Amino acid sequence: MEVQLTRRPAASCCHRLLLSSSRRPSPSTRPLRPPPPDAARHKSSTSRTKRALNIPPHPSFLSPASVPKPSNNAAAAPAAGPSPSSHIIFNPPSAAPSVYHTPFKFLPRSDPRRRAQLPANLFSSSATIQYNATPASAAGGDVDPNAFPQVKPHAGSLYHLSEADVAEMRRLRAEDPVKNSVTALATRFGCAKLFVMMCCTSSLEHRIKMKEAFAEVRAKWGPRKAKAFEDRQRRWEMMLKGEL
Amino acid sequence: MKRLRVDKWTGPALVARPRACCSPVLPLGALRPRPARPEQHQPASRRAQSTAAVAHPAVDPTELPSPLPERALQSAKLAALHARLSLPQKIPLQTLARTLVDASADSNVQFNNANLAFVGQTLINYHVTEWIMVRYPRLPMTIVWEAVRGFAGNKALFDVAKSWGVESAAAPGGEVDPGLLQFSLDPKDGVTHLQFGYERVEAAYLEKYKWRRGISNRVVFDDDFGDAVKESADEEEEDDPNFPAEEDPSLPAHMNYGTADTRAVAEKAHATFARALVGAVYTHCGREAAKAMVRAHVLSRTLDLERLFAFKLPTVELAKLCAREDFEAPTAHLLSETGRASRTPVFVVGIYSGRDKLGEASGANLDAARWKAAINSLKAWYLYSPGEHVRMPSDMLSPKAKPWEPVYIDMGEVVSR
Repeated sequence: MEVQLTRRPAASCCHRLLLSSSRRPSPSTRPLRPPPPDAARHKSSTSRTKRALNIPPHPSFLSPASVPKPSNNAAAAPAAGPSPSSHIIFNPPSAAPSVYHTPFKFLPRSDPRRRAQLPANLFSSSATIQYNATPASAAGGDVDPNAFPQVKPHAGSLYHLSEADVAEMRRLRAEDPVKNSVTALATRFGCAKLFVMMCCTSSLEHRIKMKEAFAEVRAKWGPRKAKAFEDRQRRWEMMLKGEL
Repeated sequence: MKRLRVDKWTGPALVARPRACCSPVLPLGALRPRPARPEQHQPASRRAQSTAAVAHPAVDPTELPSPLPERALQSAKLAALHARLSLPQKIPLQTLARTLVDASADSNVQFNNANLAFVGQTLINYHVTEWIMVRYPRLPMTIVWEAVRGFAGNKALFDVAKSWGVESAAAPGGEVDPGLLQFSLDPKDGVTHLQFGYERVEAAYLEKYKWRRGISNRVVFDDDFGDAVKESADEEEEDDPNFPAEEDPSLPAHMNYGTADTRAVAEKAHATFARALVGAVYTHCGREAAKAMVRAHVLSRTLDLERLFAFKLPTVELAKLCAREDFEAPTAHLLSETGRASRTPVFVVGIYSGRDKLGEASGANLDAARWKAAINSLKAWYLYSPGEHVRMPSDMLSPKAKPWEPVYIDMGEVVSR
């Protein structure tokens, strides 16, 4: 089956598929969502569908001997390269990166790994000096993060609020904590909610009142909603402990 | 870290002197043996020291709190343990027998393993702490304490002693085989357990009023695991909610015996034996042998340091870290996703500082993935290691050591805990 797969001349549709998968997507057009499944899976006939889905394995699974050369015929190709038994296929499954692998930026200046990676990082954007690609990719230098959409885009701290603004914020919060909620103050002053919470503390009575109000709301929940809420909280705690 | 004053223990503290009465060989606050029971005084005074083999035809062994030292030479269990651990021939069987007598079995410090355990625990804790601090120089102090506990705490050393094949006697006494670990399960029976360290003046109020103990404060005053030294060690186990209750079905069979209290007692006795054995190796064979023993039996165990961490606000902590180290502010980018509208979506989020990737994680929603990526980035920072073959400061005690090259020292913790 495998031999048949690799030696079969690629059908035109497969060829197109391969081309589109091997090409590096340009940053602006990189599709985050896959194309609708019916576009790739369905053909007009069963045989065409089977042929379209019968794509050759990924190049990392092929030994150099089994790759047919375009100039030679199929019989001469295996004799030219090393035998398949001498070839190691190293294709680890995708996994989360280990936290024991320190990123380049976190290496201290004295670390020899930093010195080893430094030239590759310095000249990673150079067109004339070509270093081996591995150290740069290990440092993450060959991928532009701006090609990917930002989660929770955040312009960074503006530092636009003065001491008087903070005093005003505190006054408003103390005056009417219901009307001047954290969200309302954050919108009004154009800052993060966390910043509001760092600046102001509402009165103890207000906090107790809010807690009681939430307890009343919780009391009205049914068992399923209450359990879902508890599970969500527990999952979040587990995530913070790294158990999830 | 506290300094290791090895030279202070080598002389009078460790050499067993015959005819010396029960003089306090440890600091008074450190070792608090309850006075021996009156009926124990008579046999104890008639016993000779472990190395002096003198026949006692008149002594009834059942009257003694622990077996006579000369019986160690007839014990097959002791010889087997000596051979199994490949102990040097310099360590006599009598000393090995003494390491197996807990202070709760025999309150006489001339015959129990308290002194040896004190030396051993100091050596083990020193080597473990040194190894952790040099191998992982950026760990926060709280994680260092927990890591030391993970390597050299009672539970870990209990496992070590169990793996050595040490069995315990049902009850201590002069007639039992000296190759069995002897301790008393009755908390009222003599000295139960020993704690080493300074007891705080305000120790009684720490629990009652929930007084805060800062990190620097704990470094100076508390023991090697960051715990406050208490008058009675048994209370802390009762307060520990993680300690398994009676008849816990989740425990393996060899752990599920007796009650939680008796299990704690047995655990401490086994750990004390493991410490005493390291102390005995140090006493008879010296520093290097003791260090090799700690390396081989304690530090060779696997502890996943990554699992010790728990964060509160990882994204804020990471932003503070980047600001402190003059890195660009961290940004989270969605690297890939699948099944956004489905019941089980997966988002892969990477955290970048400038063009450098700091961490990556997957999660079922965007916030969880982002927080997990921030946690992974922080762990990557804290778990930096200069390599497996870093030289330890204690390597310099060897006379043939090469000149010292300074190890990496981190500037400190990112957020106070």
